[in-house]
Amino acid sequence: MMTLESILPPERTLFEVTGGSKKRLLEFFSTFIAQNTPSLDSHEVFSRLIGRERLGSTGIGNGVAIPHARSPHCKGPIAGFMRLEDAIDFDAIDGEPVDLVFVLLVPEEADDAHLSLLAEVAGIMNQSSVRHQLRQADSQRALHDSLIDAIRHHRDSDDG
Amino acid sequence: MDSINSLFLVCGALIALSILASRVSSRIGVPLLVLFLGLGMLAGEEGVLGLKFDDYSQAFLIGHLALAMILLDGGLRTRLRTFRVGLKPALSLATVGVFLTSGIMGLLAMWLLDLSLTEGLLVGAIVGSTDAAAVFSMLKGQGVNLNERVGATLEIESGTNDPMAIFLTITLAELLTGAVGGIGETLMRFALQFGLGLAVGLGGGWISAKLLRWLDLAPGLYSLLALALGFCIFGATSAAGGSGFLAIYLTGLMIGNQPGRHLNHILPVHDGLAWLSQIGLFLVLGLLVTPSEMVDYALPSAILGIALIVLARPVAVMVSLVPFFNFRWREICFISWVGLRGAVPIVLAIFPVISGVENATLYFNVAFFVVLISLLLQGSILARVARWMRVVLPETTTPDRRGQLGVLPENDYEMFVYKVENESLDDVPIRLLRLPSGTLISAIFRQHAMLHPKGSTRLRMRDVICLIGRTGDLPSLNRLFNGEAKLKRERAFFGTFTLDGEALMQEVAGAYGLTLSPGEQEMTLGEFVALRVGGHPVVGDDVDWHGFHWVVSEMEGNRVTRVGLRLYH
Repeated sequence: MMTLESILPPERTLFEVTGGSKKRLLEFFSTFIAQNTPSLDSHEVFSRLIGRERLGSTGIGNGVAIPHARSPHCKGPIAGFMRLEDAIDFDAIDGEPVDLVFVLLVPEEADDAHLSLLAEVAGIMNQSSVRHQLRQADSQRALHDSLIDAIRHHRDSDDG
Repeated sequence: MDSINSLFLVCGALIALSILASRVSSRIGVPLLVLFLGLGMLAGEEGVLGLKFDDYSQAFLIGHLALAMILLDGGLRTRLRTFRVGLKPALSLATVGVFLTSGIMGLLAMWLLDLSLTEGLLVGAIVGSTDAAAVFSMLKGQGVNLNERVGATLEIESGTNDPMAIFLTITLAELLTGAVGGIGETLMRFALQFGLGLAVGLGGGWISAKLLRWLDLAPGLYSLLALALGFCIFGATSAAGGSGFLAIYLTGLMIGNQPGRHLNHILPVHDGLAWLSQIGLFLVLGLLVTPSEMVDYALPSAILGIALIVLARPVAVMVSLVPFFNFRWREICFISWVGLRGAVPIVLAIFPVISGVENATLYFNVAFFVVLISLLLQGSILARVARWMRVVLPETTTPDRRGQLGVLPENDYEMFVYKVENESLDDVPIRLLRLPSGTLISAIFRQHAMLHPKGSTRLRMRDVICLIGRTGDLPSLNRLFNGEAKLKRERAFFGTFTLDGEALMQEVAGAYGLTLSPGEQEMTLGEFVALRVGGHPVVGDDVDWHGFHWVVSEMEGNRVTRVGLRLYH
């Protein structure tokens, strides 16, 4: 079973990222993830992510964006999280600038498990208490801990 | 002189009490119109005041006056753009639907009340049309926001179905008194009723609208002129043999859809007039009935009332809608439930009395019961049924108050008043607000004092903000002031992610690994969803496809501009 927790290791939780713009941020993440996961190609990831944004922004409001895409070179789902130093314009649904970015990459073959991962991320980021915690975190470590807490908490409350 | 004074006293007291009763209605859960009816009965000959009122011709006059004003107001409030989805189904309901309801009810009445066929059908015709004024005042009071297809259909149906019921009632009443002509003559009159009503209503309404917009009058006179013109058109159409009720509804429609400052002055007054009409009608009905005489009819009428709800209306709705239009089953169920009877049957029930039909009070008493049962049963759980049937859109933030500035006749600048209830706006300086360009914060009220807003002024919770902007800016302003709770509900309904309706299906399929059939490759997402929904899509329509709910979340005319993606979880 692919849990959200298992696909988000500490090193893919990035603290105080300089955003610049939506395009720059996605470029930055693509380069980072390609270095982190050798099978991935940064151009490919970038073009997939930006292609998804063209269909409609993944900025879901309250300063949160969840860019997501499928990638042929992805062996399993990959998650990454970035907290930005300064919020950037993301064409979000509520027009607010975005400072919390959760990226999800999944393999090419469509799978219900991937959709439920996406739903899980959305469910977590929809909670104002979680967003508050993430914005309060003062180190990369604290940021990752809050994320994992939120994921576990969400899972428990879902099961219960 | 004494009688005049007591008339003033009694009328004033009854109307004042009715208005006060409206404050109680929502709290005790009894539909408002039933309260008016109850007050009338209490004042009536067997109630506490013991007023003896059985002047049917006076009641007939009051009924016509009231109905005309209610329909004029209904027209004023109907937006022409809702015709896109509502007109054809509503017309089907207003003609075929009324015919069927009347027929089924007529046969049942014949059997239950032991009447002749014609007499039975007359009962059916009297209770054949619905009353949306009742429906909409109830829904609005309970904060229910219907989806456009259902809302528009019900609204237009109730505005247009009265002529059919009136026509049937008059024809049958004449048949009973022996005053009816041949079939040819009847058909001719049918054509005249609708043709003239349509032509004079639209033509006269168009001229009235232009006149009202062009004239520069004292503010109080606009609404009076609109009413006077409406009455002229009503009278002229009726005198020429057309349906005055249809004509005055269309007049309202034409006036209400002519943008301009005159509407600011007309709408509030007519809102009041429509209320007065409802109150007057139901009070008069309450006064007119003699409870002890009704006992004989109680049981069969109650059965008729229930049969209307569970049999006649659903059958009529299904036959008029299912074969021709693309309604979902839950929408059909809801429309069936909202067959509320109101003012019209009451007025129609007086027709047989006036035209001297034998045993005329029977019709009146039966109509009374049917309306009462309809209001009590259908009315009291309307909002719950709307939620069960999922024909409701999530409640959105709207300005606490809005009003056109009315500086220029053609402009659409309005003042919007919002209260800050959204925590994310707390302590935010005004210059960082994402206001639509062209809107301006003109004042902020905090603790009963007005602040002069500057870019650096920070908002606080519970501030009251006055904005000036265009009507078109309203959606983005609403979104800005949307509180967290409402945003969450909206997201739960429309989905977390929103896609552009212009996005190509091919690319959407690429992003989510969906398989398309050849014809679907070239479509935009908006076209695709519209096709799957079938017919005219409205905001809130959804389609299940490939593990997602695809929800129409924004429309421009007939085009789907945004589609929400709701994930199953």
